[in-house]
Amino acid sequence: MKFLLLLLPPLISALVAYVVRPYRAVVGWLNALLSLLSLGAALAFAGHAARGAEAPVFGPGELLRADGLSALLMVCVAAASTLTLFLSPGVGTETDYAQTQLRRYQLLINLFIFSMLSAVSANNVAIMWVALEATTIFSALLIPLTRDKSSVEASWKYILIGSVGIALAFAGTVLGYFDFVALTGRAENALNWPVLLRNAPAMHPEVMKLAFVFLLVGYGTKAGIAPMHTWKPDAYGEAPPALAALMSSALFAVAMYAILRWKVVADAAIKDHYADNLLLTLGLLSLAIAAFSVAQSRNYKRMLAYSSVEHTGLICFGLGLGAAGVFAALLHLVNHTAAKSLMFVLAGDIERKYGSSAIKQARGLLTVAPWTGGLFAAGLLALVGLPPFGMFISEFALFRAGFAQHHLWVRGLMAAALLLLLVAFVSFITRLNRMLYGEAPAEVVAGETASWRVAPMLFGILALVALGLTLPAPLKNLLDQIVRIVSR
Amino acid sequence: MNSNDAIFAQLATLGSSLVLLFGIALLWRRSLVAYVRAFRWQSLALALVFALIGYFGHNRELYIVAVILVVLKVIIIPGYLSRLYERVGGKREAQPYVNVATSLIIAGLLVSLSYSITRPLAPVSKLPTRNGIPLAVGLILVGVFVIISRRKALSQIVGFLVLENGIALLAALGTYGIPLIVELGVFLDALMGFLVMQILVYQIKDTFESIDVEQLSRLRH
Repeated sequence: MKFLLLLLPPLISALVAYVVRPYRAVVGWLNALLSLLSLGAALAFAGHAARGAEAPVFGPGELLRADGLSALLMVCVAAASTLTLFLSPGVGTETDYAQTQLRRYQLLINLFIFSMLSAVSANNVAIMWVALEATTIFSALLIPLTRDKSSVEASWKYILIGSVGIALAFAGTVLGYFDFVALTGRAENALNWPVLLRNAPAMHPEVMKLAFVFLLVGYGTKAGIAPMHTWKPDAYGEAPPALAALMSSALFAVAMYAILRWKVVADAAIKDHYADNLLLTLGLLSLAIAAFSVAQSRNYKRMLAYSSVEHTGLICFGLGLGAAGVFAALLHLVNHTAAKSLMFVLAGDIERKYGSSAIKQARGLLTVAPWTGGLFAAGLLALVGLPPFGMFISEFALFRAGFAQHHLWVRGLMAAALLLLLVAFVSFITRLNRMLYGEAPAEVVAGETASWRVAPMLFGILALVALGLTLPAPLKNLLDQIVRIVSR
Repeated sequence: MNSNDAIFAQLATLGSSLVLLFGIALLWRRSLVAYVRAFRWQSLALALVFALIGYFGHNRELYIVAVILVVLKVIIIPGYLSRLYERVGGKREAQPYVNVATSLIIAGLLVSLSYSITRPLAPVSKLPTRNGIPLAVGLILVGVFVIISRRKALSQIVGFLVLENGIALLAALGTYGIPLIVELGVFLDALMGFLVMQILVYQIKDTFESIDVEQLSRLRH
């Protein structure tokens, strides 16, 4: 029942958007309100899982399942969706988009949300793959909403790289299943995650290693782990702001979720730190590439995209550092979802105001639009990991987990990571400085985009501050439950 | 191994080799017509491999998959592809980034590479089809290479379709086919992905007045 409440609202929203033509603002409002139902269901799942209860299943062949890990991701995806739907173009603000474009937007973004929610509630890892592939398709259709050269180019690169990546992830899934078939013969539920995990200790480590490399490269492409991150600045920079917000927060989280699901199976089969070491290596590479790309970025949207690559690296690190690291990484994932779902919307508002996404054009932000500028500054300070925001806590926990490791080389890696964070920090702060102060170009009209929009954004920032000051008991219980599932 | 299995193993290897060969054909042909034709033959060979495994492995579901394969990848998608290049023009692949001789050498290296990376699979599997597995992985790598080395958006699409065929072949040979519901989802995604790529090609044609991906280099820093 809760599963229906979770998955049906985005489908209904898509249907409403399709049927009502031309687009009316009431559709946008209705869809935003409907997404609250999904969020409610996700929170109910999370509460259920935080109490340590049995994971509910639903449908023929236990099609859907919601353990703690799924529940956490459902909350992340549903919350980011609700936020972006309220902040979407054509919902209570003037917009540059035509009505046909707004209708297409509402249709596709709700289908996109539906695929993400299906991916995290699917029990079968191949169904999870199907849902993730569907996210690529819907988002690639939505990126070139305005059909200009840059967005078409970004979309083509995105779908090509994304499709190849996801195809390799499928090859990995098949290789995982291959060993299972060799072991027990064909079985209908064999690809259900709990069944897979139960049989994992008997699988051949060599085969699982090969499968995991395919899966890590494949889903890593979707998550934007370096060196498979090249589509990120293009796609995030050119997509409609609300979609970029959703892709960088929710879709990224779902891709990391897929990697984590398989990592648990791989760990059970391989029995050494093979997967951990791969994640640590790619994590460091992501951090390095992000740090130096931020230092070169001249466009604030692309700068935010490189910040995503940076946090991808940090979360990879956490997942490779054992139980304490997984706890920190998942907390970081929650923080990142809250911060990024705001930042790209704010960046979109700034671009609309200044008519450019170049850093050197967007000067004097605090005098032109104090609320927008202030929120943007708060969000960026949260992203670089300053207190009192949540990311300070999760990064602190992450580095503590890293420095507590026995291996000297892991501690060396952590030191290198800290240095790279510092490099990125300096670049972010100088760029933020340049945007906040200075003389605004003469043609820019002062004023906020729409005053009520400040409320949901402020809510996101307050959530980040709250996570920086305390760790709420339900969240802690949920994360503890997940760590119990993930690292045994 | 009884004689039935021996014949099955021979036929499966033969079929897989054919599928791989049609993939490599993309590397020495230039015209998009030839690309589409090669893809069509490849998909037909793939459907035959599925039917073969269905027959010897006593799995009726694979016949259904084979029929869907023929409808989708031998009839519908090549049909769309032909219409696509008639509308957007550019029937010939421009000079690729890598010339034919080098491409073929690279393809050879990729297939050898796939033999070495799939070595851990050989002792695990007792299936008669296991000899074809390196060929399937080789085809996946060749597909990626086609995508990287071609300049026309349409050739990249064909490269992607070939890559997908490689994965389908891997699934069939390694596991006698994944569960039908998953297979249907995969087909749906493949079709949708293809249609979206086709839409994007039209948009590239409209905005750039060319489908040479060399032009797609506006986004930097």
